Amino acid sequence: MKGLHVVGVSHAYGDKQVLDNASLMIPAGEVVCLLGPSGSGKTTLLRLAGGLERLQKGRIAIDDEIVADKDTHVEPEHRGIGLMFQDYALFPHLSIIDNVTFGLFGQTKDQAHRRAMDMLDQVGMTRHATSYPHMLSGGQQQRVALARALAPEPKVLLLDEPFSGLDTNMRGQIREQTLSVLKASGVATVMVTHDPEEAMFMADRIKILGANGRILQAGRPHEIYYHPRHEFVAKLFGLMNRFEGVVKGGCVEIPIGKIRAKGMGEGRKVEVLVRPEGVILESDSGEGSGGGTPVEVISTHLLGHDNIVRVRLTEKAGDENGKELYVRIHHTFEPELSKRITAAVDPEYAFIFPMDDLDDTAGDGHTPSARSEAAQ
Amino acid sequence: MTTQATAVDMLSRPRKEPWAWLNVWSIGTVLIAAAVTVPIVAVLAIALTPGDDIWSHLASTVLPLYISTTLQLMIGVGVGTLIIGVGTAWLVSTCRFPGKRIFEWAMLLPMAMPAYVIAYVYTDILEYAGPVQGLLRDVFGWTLKREYWFPEIRSLGGAVSMMTLVLYPYVYLLSRAAFMEQSVCVLEASRMLGRGPWRSFFSVALPLARPAIVIGTSLVLMETLNDFGTVDFFAVSTFTLGIYDVWLNMNNIAGAAQLAGLLLFFVVFLVLAERFARRKQRFHHTTSKYKALPGYELRGWARLLAILGCALPVVFGFVLPAVVLGGYAVIHFEAAANAEVFRYAGNSVLLSGLAAALALAIGIFMAYGVRLRKQKIVTFMARFASLGYAVPGSVLAVGVLVSLGALDNGIDGFMRGTFGISTGLLFSGTIAAVTFGYLVRFLALSFGTVEASLAKVTPSMDGASRSLGHGPLSTLRRIHLPLIRAGMLTAAMLVFVDSMKELPMTVILRPFNFHTLATYVHQYASDEQLGEASLAALAIVGFGILPVIVLSFAITRSRPGHSSGRTMEGQLS
Repeated sequence: MKGLHVVGVSHAYGDKQVLDNASLMIPAGEVVCLLGPSGSGKTTLLRLAGGLERLQKGRIAIDDEIVADKDTHVEPEHRGIGLMFQDYALFPHLSIIDNVTFGLFGQTKDQAHRRAMDMLDQVGMTRHATSYPHMLSGGQQQRVALARALAPEPKVLLLDEPFSGLDTNMRGQIREQTLSVLKASGVATVMVTHDPEEAMFMADRIKILGANGRILQAGRPHEIYYHPRHEFVAKLFGLMNRFEGVVKGGCVEIPIGKIRAKGMGEGRKVEVLVRPEGVILESDSGEGSGGGTPVEVISTHLLGHDNIVRVRLTEKAGDENGKELYVRIHHTFEPELSKRITAAVDPEYAFIFPMDDLDDTAGDGHTPSARSEAAQ
Repeated sequence: MTTQATAVDMLSRPRKEPWAWLNVWSIGTVLIAAAVTVPIVAVLAIALTPGDDIWSHLASTVLPLYISTTLQLMIGVGVGTLIIGVGTAWLVSTCRFPGKRIFEWAMLLPMAMPAYVIAYVYTDILEYAGPVQGLLRDVFGWTLKREYWFPEIRSLGGAVSMMTLVLYPYVYLLSRAAFMEQSVCVLEASRMLGRGPWRSFFSVALPLARPAIVIGTSLVLMETLNDFGTVDFFAVSTFTLGIYDVWLNMNNIAGAAQLAGLLLFFVVFLVLAERFARRKQRFHHTTSKYKALPGYELRGWARLLAILGCALPVVFGFVLPAVVLGGYAVIHFEAAANAEVFRYAGNSVLLSGLAAALALAIGIFMAYGVRLRKQKIVTFMARFASLGYAVPGSVLAVGVLVSLGALDNGIDGFMRGTFGISTGLLFSGTIAAVTFGYLVRFLALSFGTVEASLAKVTPSMDGASRSLGHGPLSTLRRIHLPLIRAGMLTAAMLVFVDSMKELPMTVILRPFNFHTLATYVHQYASDEQLGEASLAALAIVGFGILPVIVLSFAITRSRPGHSSGRTMEGQLS
């Protein structure tokens, strides 16, 4: 298989385990994002793949050739990989064009120059060919670094937090451009990031690395968002509303509704995480049609394209009376004081995880979690 | 998972590396480091081997004298450099008075003066026949020595003064950097809380700067132990002098090595103090808020005292001796500028240049080897090899002699046994031996400087170059060397200048009848012919000014919060 193949890699710095039996398979032309908190070993995995770090356990192959296992270590210069660093690592003493031709071997000066100019053209930087790195803005440096990494036509491209140095305004634009350059080159790409949104945008597939160095879940962005198999994965995308409950009759009852708990044993203690957009607020016209739980609004915050509303459960909530919920609404929300407001759960955004699952053996597909369904 | 594993199992395996750590860089670093530490190990080995009854003999005769004299010298120089160094550093970094900007760098000038050079100069001025006593006699009408009291320069006190005058810049440099780095907030908070400038100094600034001061002082004491020219000229019986005495006069190399081994224990203590302080230094920054220290405006008497306090060390440590030497050079130009001097200057440049080039090349090799692989053994050996800077030249000289002698004998024995040819002494008493000595002692300067400059090149540069297809050597040549050019220049210069000034090792290791500027000055000045040696002495001082200029630039450029000069400060010893 063409591409990068990582099998059962574990790595520790002293006593600290940063990777635990991690496996990856990235075919040519695909972009895979490694998403995880800092210290989760994402960058270590990149450095191992690139040969900058010695492998301790496992195997790494590039285009069907083993580059690292317990008695093989192919030096980085012989691996045919492209690496792009968080700080771009442009050589400050070389001009932009010299930076890009740096990795071009076995061709005439003329050919190398043409190839480099071609790459600079793809990222829109030909005008700056004779400039030096310190004369460029962060975004421009990022694009040069991308051109430099892709110029030798690597088999695998490794990107370490490629957009973290850019300000938010530029990030979107550069992300888009980078993605189109990557897709055009057809290289197998691994990108490390701690920003879930960025991963969602860039990735064909996402791998989530937990703090313990294990891959907690792998899948397409849609799956990761709508079917988190691990509490940690569900929480990656921001604030969650958390409830506890017990499975009764195949369902869990929480103050704002009832959710079906598929595959959970009767009487099992579970926690229910509901995304802020999974709480539906309605202004009750008085007839009590919605059947939601009455709440009172504490505050509303306009975030730009949507609103965060904080509400408090008032009645009918039993033990959870007074509990605060976060609600994300896309339209402007102006509660009328006179009217009763109710909250209900959208089961698509609610996830159930068992609470008595003490041993944390969450590998791919092993998490005993359940896809929730609305109880009718 | 299983299917993936078997699929990979069947793949090709390009190369096996069971001894992966054994590459050129690691082996080279370990071997070089081992070679450089041989002299130190040799001294230790001899010192710990029970030999003749030399110990009991030494212990009952000269040893107590050596120990007490050495301790007195260390305490005297330590206290002296502390007072002058910390005091002037505090003045120029927190007070405002006329000339402050000049003193900031001028305080470093005495660094260019080897202690033995100012010892010759002051002896010339202050001895009975010298101009000062002559003037006093003329003024007061005395004629005989016993009619008046005048301090004897050729004494322990004299040695303490000479060394204090030229060594205080180490303490000054490091404590000034520490004072500059202390955030204003801490000092201002102290004053807000009702402490005056004096109490702030003693209760806040001084404790915060303590690690830096300890480092500076331990460097001073290492230099004190290293000194040979001054104590020899003043006949102050320190350890260093004892080693020469036991060796050259009693012709007892084992005894010399045993004394050297004992001296090493003083050194170990200093190295530990220094290392400990360096480790502590890292935790001493509470906030990162810096701005130019406002400075107390000094007025009246305080201003005058501050100017005097800063001016006197510079005048006595540099200006006066330099002027005297210059005067002699003019008066005795005919005698001083003879063909010999130029030949000796050539020898000095040759030896120092050789040592600088070698130390630079090896320093780069080792620093890059350490950078390539963070292996414990490599890092440890590199650190161990840098210990030479702390070991007095006399000790190293003994070690070099003993180990090269053993090597020569070994080669000779082998050649005679195998080919029937006697090679005799191949290395002992050659330029190679002197150069090796310089290398052992000054390798730390180049290694440290190169390592510090390399540390400023981010590791992602290495990664980028390697992933673009360049091997370690190509990466070094195309990326690192161009980026650390300034650091390389500094490293070579430091080794060059220190080799130029070096006396104790050169005296012992040089070939017969071979002179450098330093040994020439030492010989002539010891014979009270300073006039003839004045030009050579001035040349040494002239070269010694080079690093002072570089440091001065670093100081004037560095403002609070920036510490561009620090890579060198820690290295200078």
